[in-house]
Amino acid sequence: MDIFARAHLPRIAALALASASSLAVTAAEAKEITIWCWDPNFNVAIMKEAGARYTKTHPDVTFNVVDFAKTDVEQKLQTGLASGTADALPDIVLIEDYGAQKYLQSFPGAFAPLSGTVDYSGFAPYKVELMTLDGKVYGMPFDSGVAGMYYRKDYLEAAGFKPEDMQNITWDRFIEIGKQVEAKAGKKMIAIDPSDAGLIRIIMQSAGQWYFNKDGTANIADNAALKASLETVGKIMAADIHKPVAGWSDWAGTFASGDVAAVVTGVWITGTVKAQPDQSGKWGVAPIPALSIDGATHASNLGGSSWYVLESSAEKAEAIDFLNEVYAKDIDFYQTILQDRGAVGSLLAARGGAAYEAADPFFGGEKVWQNFSDWLTKVPAVNYGIFTNEVDAAVIAQLPAIIQGTPVDEALKAIDAEVSTQIQ
Amino acid sequence: MRNNPATIASAVFTYGFVGLMAFLSVFPFIWMVLGATNSSIDIIKGRLMPGEALATNIANFFTLVNVPLVFWNSAKVTIFATVLTLAVSSLAGYGFEIFRSRRRENLYRAMLLTLMIPFAALMIPLFIMMGKMGLINTHIAVVLPTIGSAFIVFYFRQSTKAFPSELRDAAKVDGLKEWQIFLYIYVPVMRSTYAAAFIIVFMTAWNNYLWPLIVLQSNETKTITLVISSLASAYYPDYGVVMVGTFLATLPTLTVFFFMQRQFVQGMLGSVK
Amino acid sequence: MVHARRGGIGRYYDVNGWLFVAPALGLIALFMIYPIVWSLWMSFQSGRGMMMKFAGFANIVRLWNDPVFIKALTNTMTYFVVQVPIMILLALVLASLLNNPRLVGRGLIRTAIFLPCVTSLVAYSVLFKGMFALDGIVNSTLEAIGIISSPIPWLTHPFWAKVLVIIAITWRWTGYNMIFYLAALQNIDRSIYEVARIDGVPAWARFTHITIPLLKPVILFTTVISTIGTLQLFDEVYNLTEGKGGPSNATLTLSLYIYNLTFRYMPSFGYAATVSYVIVILVAMLAFLQFFLARERDR
Repeated sequence: MDIFARAHLPRIAALALASASSLAVTAAEAKEITIWCWDPNFNVAIMKEAGARYTKTHPDVTFNVVDFAKTDVEQKLQTGLASGTADALPDIVLIEDYGAQKYLQSFPGAFAPLSGTVDYSGFAPYKVELMTLDGKVYGMPFDSGVAGMYYRKDYLEAAGFKPEDMQNITWDRFIEIGKQVEAKAGKKMIAIDPSDAGLIRIIMQSAGQWYFNKDGTANIADNAALKASLETVGKIMAADIHKPVAGWSDWAGTFASGDVAAVVTGVWITGTVKAQPDQSGKWGVAPIPALSIDGATHASNLGGSSWYVLESSAEKAEAIDFLNEVYAKDIDFYQTILQDRGAVGSLLAARGGAAYEAADPFFGGEKVWQNFSDWLTKVPAVNYGIFTNEVDAAVIAQLPAIIQGTPVDEALKAIDAEVSTQIQ
Repeated sequence: MRNNPATIASAVFTYGFVGLMAFLSVFPFIWMVLGATNSSIDIIKGRLMPGEALATNIANFFTLVNVPLVFWNSAKVTIFATVLTLAVSSLAGYGFEIFRSRRRENLYRAMLLTLMIPFAALMIPLFIMMGKMGLINTHIAVVLPTIGSAFIVFYFRQSTKAFPSELRDAAKVDGLKEWQIFLYIYVPVMRSTYAAAFIIVFMTAWNNYLWPLIVLQSNETKTITLVISSLASAYYPDYGVVMVGTFLATLPTLTVFFFMQRQFVQGMLGSVK
Repeated sequence: MVHARRGGIGRYYDVNGWLFVAPALGLIALFMIYPIVWSLWMSFQSGRGMMMKFAGFANIVRLWNDPVFIKALTNTMTYFVVQVPIMILLALVLASLLNNPRLVGRGLIRTAIFLPCVTSLVAYSVLFKGMFALDGIVNSTLEAIGIISSPIPWLTHPFWAKVLVIIAITWRWTGYNMIFYLAALQNIDRSIYEVARIDGVPAWARFTHITIPLLKPVILFTTVISTIGTLQLFDEVYNLTEGKGGPSNATLTLSLYIYNLTFRYMPSFGYAATVSYVIVILVAMLAFLQFFLARERDR
């Protein structure tokens, strides 16, 4: 019994403390906006910068940026939304673009619409599209995962190619170049993770398609872009110009140690590429290769995320005003986060700033940021739907079969079958 | 007899086997320590030599993380959880084994069943409960659901089967009350069991991840496990900093283990002698 | 047991019994029963996110037609059948070797073998992926010794990925199980071993005829705990495969599937609860079997 009493004492004490501190907050009249996001060197640091800018003009508003792992933010958000406990949620939360519709549709009324306050015409259209539901726009578009092809100039030169030869190529040309690089420079062209569908998604979106139609129904069996993407990856693997890897660090290791000649991914990888000072001047950036089907482009996207305001937030008005003032209007802010953090925002007007104009000696003086922001405007808008993770899993499940030579049409049928049981 | 070939062969086998196991077990730890001295990019490349980045990594870790606070949070949660769990669960394990009754047996079985439910299935209801009790974002919410541990009750009961009944009988003849028998006979005699349970509960509480993640909401309440997880999930994680963090986070459990394991050797043998 | 309720002594005995177990039972009831009832109720609901409605047995029907669930179930059972016996035996052998007071440096060796279960999952997954990469240290060592002629695709081939997960769990949890045995071995009077040794009983026979029977309650305990742990296996697979259970779902476990259904996929809280009750039923059956087998051998 004694133990029981002792177990409860700290709880009573903490309750008393908790109520005392909540009283203190009300007394001070200060508004604190709580934000959940991930990555201390990227999103967290950027949001702190944004908060500092807003507090300068609005001294009564302070910010509490809480830093969790990305999957942790998703877990906490879902648990909080599912429990219906309002004090369990932040005022602003960061959501990855692929998951936006899933949250908007499965927790209706949980997020505050920002259309009416924010002028969305200034943002990259694909970013706005993915956060629109029933005519209302819900988020503040943030960073872009606009895709590019990073390549090693020295390896390609050894194989007889100049930077001009890398501009606006097709995937078939990419494979031919890869064979030359393998033969003459002794390097693999690209690293591929058979448990990751990222590359397939980049290629598919570049041709303006996704796993879903505009109305949200599955678009698998008759999806020409998906078929061509799978065929492309299959051809790369059959040509044996790839290095198989497992997981992020293995993948990042291939270009850190100079094992591959090219990396096709989102712009956020720039920091990792530049983390090797001894490779300075050896890298170039070109638009990603295109498919040879109708609607093919050289622009695509991988990842990227946006900010959302919770409808239940006590500080809803301040939170919306804050996002609008900084993220939709402050061009200088975008220069700072590009310079300090390598973040490419999706506000198109930001491209005019000095940071975007700068030439990067690491990339041999190319104006890489300018290039990326040009490609950003061309990223085809698609409907990311609400089941991207489910279809991703089904696609990955078929990859080993495709590598072993199963016809892509059969693989598509199998994906379609698995997806139809998963989508409920 | 000492020097016969069979003894030597068995000694060689023993040291060889145990040594190999120890090496395989320690290798990742050594790699982690080496990792703490290397830059992130060298870690990704798989470098296995000491590097020069230790000072930078430590400095970065201390800049990114409020180290004293997160360690204090972890320590607070772990010590409360360990002491309370051991007390409550050893009482119950002893009670179930010594005072047998059919009704308690049934309750015991029902209690074991609760072990079998994956925590993921209970998380949301438990969270709602904590919300109603106003305990969200408190360390009490982290500790409270872990104190009544069916797992540790089960362990104590199985271990109590080896508790010599003669000791109880003798104590009763001496006129000791039940709580006195528990406190003055059972607890000292079962030292090695308590030591093992202490290590296990301490480790579980220190490394606890999923539940603290769900109930803790602010930077001020976060534990070291949560902090490391967020460091490791960046777009380009600084693995050097992550290694410094994981190394520091491992030290307390390791220290506890190193000191507690003495109890294994001194344990019950002392009372038999 | 039956006479416990009769008369003064019986009541005294019974009251004491309740007093000892009450705090634990009370806490477990409070923090387990409500969530369990809630999740049971959820398992009869279906829908997206919070838009749930009563669906009767629809989730159970969905189980039968779900190839991913079947895959996860098969994988989980494979892990259980292969991994638990290996680990228990290894832990027992290690514990009895390390229990030898004449062994030099056994304190350090014990700590070394315990290390894996305190090493952070993050460090451990980065390291395992590095060690078992195609050109990693494991493959190059095996090739140097001459055991294999071409590198094993540990992480990218469905069969080897399963083997890797089994290696990883065994590596992490053997030391943990060893602790329970080391603690329990203290309850065995060492003179029994001395007598057996002098009688010329070989080491292996001493292990099977003295150690194992005397440790039976704790072996039963660790077997049940390991069964539960393996059937709820999540951490290792999640970290080694970055939450995907790949390649080609070859390492997907039931718990990882539950996690995906709750947090990664369109949230299906009801269906996720149904899958978790599959684990409950499996563990309950296996634990019952283990208790039953242990009791049989008593006679």
